[in-house]
Amino acid sequence: MVRQVECTGKTTREINQEIRRLIGDGEQEIVVLRPQARHNLGVAVLQPVKLVFEGSVGYYCAGMADGPSVEIRGSAGWGVAEGMMSGTVIIEQNAGNSAAASIRGGTVVVRGSASARAGIAMKGGTLIIQGNCGYMTGFMMQKGTIIVCGDAGEALGDSMYEGRIFVGGSIAEFGNDAVIQELTPEDREFLTSTLTQYGITSARPFQKVVAGRRLWRFDKKEFATWREAL
Amino acid sequence: MRDEAVLRHSNIWRPETIEDIQTKAELGRYRIRGFSALRSRVLPSFDDLTFIPCTLTRVPLEGYREKCSTKTVLGTRFAKKPLELDIPIMVTGMSYGALSYNAKVALARAATQAGTSTTTGDGGMLMAERENSRVLIYEVLPSRYGMNVHHLRMANAIELTVGQGAKPGTGGLLLESKVSDEIAAMRDLPAGVDQRSPCRHPDWLGPDDMILKIEELREATDWQVPIFVKMGASRVYDDVTLAAKAGADVVVVDGMEGGTGASPDLLMDHTGIPTLAAVCEARAALEDMGLYGEVQLIIAGGIRSGPDAAKALALGADAVYVGTAALIALNCNKPIYVEDYHKLGTEPYACHHCHTGRCPVGITTQDPELVKRLDIDEGAERVVNFFHAMTLEIQMLARACGKADVHDLEPEDLRALTLEASMITGLPLVGTNVVFAGGPGWKKSTHR
Repeated sequence: MVRQVECTGKTTREINQEIRRLIGDGEQEIVVLRPQARHNLGVAVLQPVKLVFEGSVGYYCAGMADGPSVEIRGSAGWGVAEGMMSGTVIIEQNAGNSAAASIRGGTVVVRGSASARAGIAMKGGTLIIQGNCGYMTGFMMQKGTIIVCGDAGEALGDSMYEGRIFVGGSIAEFGNDAVIQELTPEDREFLTSTLTQYGITSARPFQKVVAGRRLWRFDKKEFATWREAL
Repeated sequence: MRDEAVLRHSNIWRPETIEDIQTKAELGRYRIRGFSALRSRVLPSFDDLTFIPCTLTRVPLEGYREKCSTKTVLGTRFAKKPLELDIPIMVTGMSYGALSYNAKVALARAATQAGTSTTTGDGGMLMAERENSRVLIYEVLPSRYGMNVHHLRMANAIELTVGQGAKPGTGGLLLESKVSDEIAAMRDLPAGVDQRSPCRHPDWLGPDDMILKIEELREATDWQVPIFVKMGASRVYDDVTLAAKAGADVVVVDGMEGGTGASPDLLMDHTGIPTLAAVCEARAALEDMGLYGEVQLIIAGGIRSGPDAAKALALGADAVYVGTAALIALNCNKPIYVEDYHKLGTEPYACHHCHTGRCPVGITTQDPELVKRLDIDEGAERVVNFFHAMTLEIQMLARACGKADVHDLEPEDLRALTLEASMITGLPLVGTNVVFAGGPGWKKSTHR
């Protein structure tokens, strides 16, 4: 049975406590009504439940999640799903800055566009942006995959360590050390299967951006000097 | 032939200046090293203050007998479970990566035996550290290396780190030789890279965002544990005001004497403000907000001894963090394995080569052979002894000042030995009873 949580007249604390109580009672599907863009809703949900927000949410919705399947039927503020370890978060409209920041696993799908620093410091998982993304997307990314079906803003993939960014549209500017790499057959297969899973069809040919690895370490000659001289 | 009249060193172009330029002419970049500020000019410090114990105007407590409480409670503002520590000395955050496994576990055991806390550092929680720590503070840093919600919920307090005293405004640094396979895996990095951590959090920027971030951390931990905000000492008055306003239970201010495992050396020597000034500004900020005592203050950065800690407490801190001093108790810079210091081009008492990962005493290294040189239990015992010694020193000063609780030490128990320290602290200069300038002051501040 689907259980409902009404947000009107309640504090964030009360809403989250109600969600936790329902999860504790073994409920499998919870619909949160009228979230009214409150911040910090559904933070640190660690069970594989379905959690639906019927409207837009504020900062850090579904932050630090491990396991749930979350739907946001509206837009999300900053840091949606930040630090997520596993699970799925689908945002029906747009996402504010730092969507999927530093996630370690799971999948985040933004049906609209994502603002600046999407997928910043990602440590795993997948971020799919059906529309466009803002500047510094994938900044200091460490692992994982970002798929941008539309256009990418400036400084794309700046200072990445590892990971990969696929872009279907134009790239306004490459970040430091971000380089184009040829797609492998495995990449194409991954793109098709992943996008299909979320009902996304894109006829555009994707470009793949990875780390050039020039920032991985100081120059070898420098290193020798550093080791010897300091 | 050597002619002393001809052979003169310039005060501008000193031998170390010439060596520095020539080294950088080879490197093509700034120099990197570990440890702490090495600048030749002495910083204003707690050494510039002296206690004025009881005489006829006040009655002292018996130095070796009467009770003098050292119990320290932190996080009483919003958290359901404040930290209760036996002593006001805590182990600061130093990562597993910067430090060896043995060093981390030794510090955890020492903190537990001494009745105090330890802190994770920039690289995630080492399970052995959790198991060996009665009280463990979990750092949430800009890098989010090893960030794990389950670990967060296992912590006794959370420290939202904005920066550190050794290099405020800059991220961490861990060079290739220390990014072992295990460390790399914990941080989700490729092994063997020079890890340069971010300085900004990935999902918030300013103090308004931080209000929401703190709320998120509280929601994730059901408002149970205290939230600390840690900053390098920079614009301390304003920063402490903003952190307290953002909802911190505890504010940590780390002065420019603070240590680090690796940093561009210019940052250690030329950024931030000294711990002495930081504690005064921090207290003034909390007093002006009416939150002094409600938001606890931890002071860090170059705390070496009981007298340093006691002066920090008297000026307004509720507790001090120690990092470098605890490592020195573990054997850092001790004259053993001297030939290995020499291989690094350094020597005991002057070693600052934590960044190389070749620590001769097994503390700041990931080399298994070097790590073996630090016996965990022996190291822990030395740190416990050092903490006990520091605690006795603080109590001795408190009793001499007539205080039955070390937290009752107050600015009135101190005098400034230098004009500079009087101006910084707002304490009277010895022999004058005059305060030269207000400092940020320990009374109601006139700073704003």
